[in-house]
Amino acid sequence: MKDVEVIVTRSLAAAAADRYQVNWRTDVKGVTTGWCVLDDKDELVAVARALTELSARLSTITAYGAEKAKQTGKFEIAYHFDLDGDTLTVTVHIPVEGEIDSMTPYFANADWPEREMAELYGIRLRGHPHPERLFIDESLGEAVFDQYIPYSTMVNAATTKGLWEKVLAKGKEQVAK
Amino acid sequence: MSTYKIPVGPLHVALEEPMFFKVEVEGETVVGLDITAGHAHRGIEYLVAKRNIHQNIVLTERICSLCSNSHPFSYCMALERIAGIVVPERVEYLRVVADEIKRIASHLFNVAITAHLVGFDSLFMHVMEIREIMQDTKESIFGNRMDLGANCIGGVRYDLDAEGRGYLLAQLDKLKAPLAEVRALYETNGSFLRRTKGVGVLPRAEAIRLGLVGPVARASGVDYDVRRKAPYVVYDKLSFDVQTLPDGDVWSRTMIRLREAIESIRIIEQCMRDMPEGPTTIDKTPEIPAGESIAKSEAPRGELIYYLRTDGSDKPERLKWRVPSYNNWKGLQVMLTGAKVADIALVVGSIDPCISCTER
Amino acid sequence: MWFLPVLIRNLLKGPSTEAFPFGEAMTPKKMRARIAFDPESCALCRVCARICPAGAIQFEKRPDGLEFNLWHNSCVFCGLCTLYCESEGLHATGDWHLSHPQSEKYDLVEKATVKFQKCSKCGKQKMPAPLPLMAKLYPGLSADEIERLRAMCPQCRKAETAPQDGGTQ
Repeated sequence: MKDVEVIVTRSLAAAAADRYQVNWRTDVKGVTTGWCVLDDKDELVAVARALTELSARLSTITAYGAEKAKQTGKFEIAYHFDLDGDTLTVTVHIPVEGEIDSMTPYFANADWPEREMAELYGIRLRGHPHPERLFIDESLGEAVFDQYIPYSTMVNAATTKGLWEKVLAKGKEQVAK
Repeated sequence: MSTYKIPVGPLHVALEEPMFFKVEVEGETVVGLDITAGHAHRGIEYLVAKRNIHQNIVLTERICSLCSNSHPFSYCMALERIAGIVVPERVEYLRVVADEIKRIASHLFNVAITAHLVGFDSLFMHVMEIREIMQDTKESIFGNRMDLGANCIGGVRYDLDAEGRGYLLAQLDKLKAPLAEVRALYETNGSFLRRTKGVGVLPRAEAIRLGLVGPVARASGVDYDVRRKAPYVVYDKLSFDVQTLPDGDVWSRTMIRLREAIESIRIIEQCMRDMPEGPTTIDKTPEIPAGESIAKSEAPRGELIYYLRTDGSDKPERLKWRVPSYNNWKGLQVMLTGAKVADIALVVGSIDPCISCTER
Repeated sequence: MWFLPVLIRNLLKGPSTEAFPFGEAMTPKKMRARIAFDPESCALCRVCARICPAGAIQFEKRPDGLEFNLWHNSCVFCGLCTLYCESEGLHATGDWHLSHPQSEKYDLVEKATVKFQKCSKCGKQKMPAPLPLMAKLYPGLSADEIERLRAMCPQCRKAETAPQDGGTQ
């Protein structure tokens, strides 16, 4: 077992007792990735505080499961922490209308990723210092990943049918070699 | 003294990419900064979920132009980790070569732009001319000046035979002398030093607090390079020095990039020396099972992280990536506080920002 | 360090930009530019249309076959189609001269009909079996033998090859 596993497991146990699962993978180069799932989203703050003591750096946050959320009623949010090269991913589940604590008091760079997941998925943040829009304009509705899909669905994220009709009508047959 | 708010951007702040700054000034000194993003948001994270895994190699390559190779490279590594694919050793070397060639071209571009932003246009053109050696190299080896198309799942799409290796080494030789001369110029030229020394300072503690990465962090004394801290492909077998400088000003960031470009030449030469013979791709069609993985690499601008989750179908269930620039914007708030209005574009350019990367 | 010596050297060297369009511009051998399609080498597997990330390739039904269409204005020159085309029907050429007036934009199409064929043995309609693909499948056979096999439909080909020698591969 690598040092990072021992240290992080100890911190996780202190922060979330037995309300988490974690497993570790180490690749051939000796780089470790840890995958931790918290039973309760509200444990996240305690875990974050423990990770700051290990000088962890927040790499990024991934929110996903928008389509699945409609069936299961919950989003998944994965927080990826860098531990001097090794990576720990902490996953929490939140209900569709639920809130998640902002990580900004512990990791200053959580600001942008949190605002981005708020505007794309409609996830509500608790305690974010300025939860405004990041990329998407205020005039557009919430959770754009859900609401503004029709255009992309129509064009199947590719060239349109109407365009192809013009191409097919005008293009000339080449002389067969 | 009363304060004013002046708009800077969104167009042509340092580059032809849009980012809007609301700058609060007191006289000609910056006292506050508000960044408004979103002018180049293309929804690529949505698109990748609609395309199959092969199409996404091409799509991720087009997220950015200067670090284009880092994206499909990391994405392929993420796929390979899920599928448990071990790539042939020759592939690992060829992937390093492609990535380091891109790093040299990317760093020289920013170094040139920095000269332009201080009004030293003859130096700007001189560096761009030197960079053209690398652009020609890319076009000759890969077939395109920006989008190399070097990676595929389980391998690479190009090979270097004896002629190709000879050509690459000759191009690197051609680069060495002018690059050394340029480095000396940036290190000692009075006009350049007066505009960049002590400008846009980012202290080490702030770089760590804000989670900055890449040359920007290393210029503030943060000794973090993914190639060293979390080695991938054959970086653990190659000898190179991670460049750091203590001062965190515009000059340091420029010098870090110049030094790294010189290190990259060393890395490619080692690859040419040590690369074993062998296949350039795995010999079966890869099948990607359900799973999740993380792949990190050191893009020219710093740590690039890919998170991939698959469900066994040919489309990714979730593909998320965070580019180095995304983190580095935050540094501007510190760097620009106390800076002069005339230095805004210079300081913005010194974080080597990539907006199409940031917003996707 | 003074920049002046470098500046003077650059001045004496003259322009380093290419004189295009009045002179030649560099075109390396490996350049990935306009894609060329060879209908003789198409097996109609349509993998190119499936993997093309730009949606630049489309097959249209025609009475006697399938019509291949590649619109150069959608193509992003990634070369994925040439990589996945097992029968070598698609190639990247070094021709990058694709500029044209707006009025001619829909003319820039690589278009050719790949005809269905009749099996030389049973006479049923069949997909083409291009030479490069068949040569890969039957590396041990003579050119004449491959020609004979590729004129047949897969069923007849199987009946021809399997019982005699239990698979020629």
